[in-house]
Amino acid sequence: MALLQDFEPIAGSRHSLCRGQVSAAHPDPVGQLRGDLGDAPLAMVALLISPTADFDNIVEKANQAFAGADVVACTTAGEIGARGYEEDTIIAIGFPKARFATTSVLIEELDDRSSQNVLDRIALDRVGLQEAHPDKRHGFAFLVVDGLSLREDMLTAAIAPALRDMALFGGSAGDGLEFGHTRVALNGRACENAAVLTLIQTDLRIKVFSIDHLVPTDRQMVVTGADPDRRIVKSINAEPAAREYARLMGKDPNQLDQFTFASHPVVVRIGGTHHVRAIQQVNEGDELLFFSAIDEGMVLTVAEPENLVDHLRQKLDEIAAAGPLTDIVGCDCLLRRIEAEQMQMTRDLSDVLSRHKVIGFSTYGEQIGALHVNHTMTGVAFYAPDGEQG
Amino acid sequence: MSVINPADTLERQNEKLLQITQALMRKVEQKNEQSGVAYAQFERAALLEVQVRERTIDLERTLDLLQESNARLEAANLETAIARENLTEAIETINEGFALFDPADRLVLFNSRFCRDLSDIAGQLREGLSFDAYVALISASRCLSLPSGTNPRNWARQRTRRHRDDYVVFNVSLTHDRWLQVSEHRTARGGTVILQTDVTNIIRLERQEREKLRDEQALILRATLDHLNQAVCIFDKDRKLIGWNRRMNHLLDLPSQEAALGRSFVVLLDRLNSQLSFQDKFDNDMLVQWAMQKEGRSPIVFEVTGDNDQVLSVFAQEMPDRGFVISLTDVTAERAAGRALSEMNEVLERRVQSRTRELGIALSEAERANASKSRFVAAASHDLLQPLSAAKLFVSALSDQIAQPDLRGIVDKAETALSSVEQIIEALLDISKLDAHRPTFDIQPVRLAAVLRPLRDELTPVAQAKGIDLRVIDCGLSVRSDPGYLRRIIQNLVSNAVRYTNTGKVLVGVRRVGGVARVQVWDTGPGIAHKDQESIFQEFKRLTPDQSEHSLGLGLAIVERACTSLGHGLRLQSTLGQGSLFSVDIPILEGLKDPIVLARATPDASDLERKGEIVLLVENDEILAKALTLMIEGWGAEVIHARTGAEGLKLLSDIDLRPDAVLLDHQLGEGISGLDLLAHIRALHGDVPACIISADRSTPLREACKDQNVRLLPKPIERRALFAFLNS
Repeated sequence: MALLQDFEPIAGSRHSLCRGQVSAAHPDPVGQLRGDLGDAPLAMVALLISPTADFDNIVEKANQAFAGADVVACTTAGEIGARGYEEDTIIAIGFPKARFATTSVLIEELDDRSSQNVLDRIALDRVGLQEAHPDKRHGFAFLVVDGLSLREDMLTAAIAPALRDMALFGGSAGDGLEFGHTRVALNGRACENAAVLTLIQTDLRIKVFSIDHLVPTDRQMVVTGADPDRRIVKSINAEPAAREYARLMGKDPNQLDQFTFASHPVVVRIGGTHHVRAIQQVNEGDELLFFSAIDEGMVLTVAEPENLVDHLRQKLDEIAAAGPLTDIVGCDCLLRRIEAEQMQMTRDLSDVLSRHKVIGFSTYGEQIGALHVNHTMTGVAFYAPDGEQG
Repeated sequence: MSVINPADTLERQNEKLLQITQALMRKVEQKNEQSGVAYAQFERAALLEVQVRERTIDLERTLDLLQESNARLEAANLETAIARENLTEAIETINEGFALFDPADRLVLFNSRFCRDLSDIAGQLREGLSFDAYVALISASRCLSLPSGTNPRNWARQRTRRHRDDYVVFNVSLTHDRWLQVSEHRTARGGTVILQTDVTNIIRLERQEREKLRDEQALILRATLDHLNQAVCIFDKDRKLIGWNRRMNHLLDLPSQEAALGRSFVVLLDRLNSQLSFQDKFDNDMLVQWAMQKEGRSPIVFEVTGDNDQVLSVFAQEMPDRGFVISLTDVTAERAAGRALSEMNEVLERRVQSRTRELGIALSEAERANASKSRFVAAASHDLLQPLSAAKLFVSALSDQIAQPDLRGIVDKAETALSSVEQIIEALLDISKLDAHRPTFDIQPVRLAAVLRPLRDELTPVAQAKGIDLRVIDCGLSVRSDPGYLRRIIQNLVSNAVRYTNTGKVLVGVRRVGGVARVQVWDTGPGIAHKDQESIFQEFKRLTPDQSEHSLGLGLAIVERACTSLGHGLRLQSTLGQGSLFSVDIPILEGLKDPIVLARATPDASDLERKGEIVLLVENDEILAKALTLMIEGWGAEVIHARTGAEGLKLLSDIDLRPDAVLLDHQLGEGISGLDLLAHIRALHGDVPACIISADRSTPLREACKDQNVRLLPKPIERRALFAFLNS
């Protein structure tokens, strides 16, 4: 009985969002998705596309299929769908016009530091959207960004002021475990080194959240040599970075891989809180390549993960307790999926995600507010309006 | 310390620590700006994030509060809206016009009935309208019927002034005889509620009622006026006739109602002038003057005489409206009756006066007659006593000198007869005195024993002669009374008892009853019939005419009169054939120390103890003087007789002698009286024993004798008393 209860959705079955899910191998994935999403006029469609699918082809077709709606797309490091963690699928999330008003902007050339025009536009779009839809009082911003651009930290820090009190969450587009190419697209235009920011106003009550299951330990290290532009830490504690990391973790320097990184994350502590600096991989020079910004003199603290499933269930239960939950859109770090696989918790985690109506994808990094972080799950929860069941 | 690899040498450790330190220092000093922009930005963002999160928490809390208060505000707004709706519905249900002005005098709300009757302004009312503007609107409304002499601006000013009053209710007249009652009520917040009530029906009804009432009152007044026995006419303040009653028509020849109505008082008066003439001092001009006063007329009453000697009493009085009312009353009959009455009164008065005069004359005549009778009786008695006294003395002297028993018996009988005559005359004298207007009594303490004992001595022989047992029981009481009359009363009662009792006995006793001594005289005589018990006290009444020899029947008459005059109760109890009881009640005097001896028994001696004493007798009655001289010289004394005082004095001076005793008549005719003479004699010869003899038994003489310490012997002179005086 207890097991059965675990599989039951939290409350109700009606979603605020339209959902579509199709295999990457489907001959007409866009047609399928179009059918899944129904006839309700949509303000925006988010497509989370497995790297195994034909990204350019799909976004182009989707742009036609969902004419009238903005079509935002990105590649993933795995999807979260009806059964929790998915692979090789395409997820479509439709935001019906009845409840949502959106505006999306494609931010290209993330290397370009003179992005003031973009910021102005974001600010204007935000004001215009809010004024045009006074009935949709709740707003948030959803960002998808090239996960290999190395510009996420700069981008979020720059965008956040323009959003004022509008909460931002997002995820970095992934490329499975390949770390080759990550792409984003808006209305059929697919780019690298770019991001799509969507501002969303809704009459639904929402909650933007970030879940972090890591607990810092007292084991610390100092980055003594680094190439911040390339997010490469060269030496730690005046030793080659990988070797020293391995020594501190008690691992063989030659056996370091994603699983090691996933289960032995390091964090920086700033102002009473901590942020994960996730390691992407080890290069030939025993240097460590990070998912997020690093610097010399940075103090890294070794963190221990809590039980992923218990922690996630607890957090999502807390979120669900705030009202009749209809949907959660989540950006879940690739490292969590890896950790779950390593700990053989994938199935349980999928159940928790499914039960809490989470839809989304696995990322190369998560954005929350002005921050770009790793090894977390960020997202937004939607609640049914008062008097309506979820 | 995890940064140190314990496997390293100390040198290596030291070297690494130096490098670590340098890296940290660079980081702290931000020297690696070239490369660390992204991380620095991340770091700043992270710090910012912390702050933002804190702020967000605060903000969320604030938002929650805001939402809460918003919710409350919403609820409150809803309530307000509902309340307002309810209020609007409520005031719509009111049957009156309703408007609420706020404390700033702005119109807040009003119902559809408000100002509905003022159709031209009803559409101009709106929320926020000021009170002044509202008043201005109404004042200018065509539907408002302004009182004459008031323009819209005046009306508005008056209306606004009323607005400041605490309590405002007034009626507003609208066109077409429609009426609104407007009232203002202050709300607790200082706002104003105005209520408009359509009172047209009420006012119209009221007006009808009032007119009806006025008509009824006029009818009643008219009937009352006509009912009055007086003629009444009423003038208004301009002295125009505004009404009169039917009686007025009868009384005066007024023009017909219609013609007279509104006529001036003066004109009407002129018209009546020929019919009426004023009496007394009030004349036509004064009446006109009175009527011409504007106000403050005091009521006037006067009389006028009309044709046929009709007398009218006119009463004119001012009325509250400065007009006046005049009433005329026909008093002809009353005046005539009054006149007749006063004439009759005069006649009666005259009669009474003449009758009074006649009666006065009659009374004085009667008094004169009575006085002359009294004088006559007194004088006759007095004059009779003088010769009688002399006769007795002569007979007495004769008796002394006659030796033959047969002759002596005749003389004795003559003497007895003379004594009876004397008694009768004395009784008559007593009665005449008691009948006098005011009998004089000498009330003094009297020992009853002093009265009773001599009576016993006196009457025992008489009783013994008749064979009757007379018993007088002694008594120690003293009473207040006149001793002479008291003696007479008791003597008469006892002697009567002895006289009329043929067999048996007579008992005299005193019984003490409360504060009085009751002297009782019992007899076993024939008794007195009840029918006779009153008449026996009348003069000259006797029940047994056969016993006439000794009595004229004056005894009980004297007793009755004396008892009445002295206030001594006299009563009679008698049973025919058994006997009678007479009793007299006399007030007791307690503790008498010095009893007056009225009489004392004196031995009947033939000669005085001292022979040859010289007695001066002054007596103008020759016969009495000779009788006295004969008697005194028979007792062995010498008598010098003078007829007048002057003669007596001359005689004494001639013989140059001091008399051993003087015997003086008081009434000596012309010249000085006996008492004056005594004063002369005593002045010449010292305190000579003296005795005044007089038939005058009045108190003044007795008092005068007492003052001069001289004995008084009443006439007729008792032989024994004279002897006792000369022998003392």
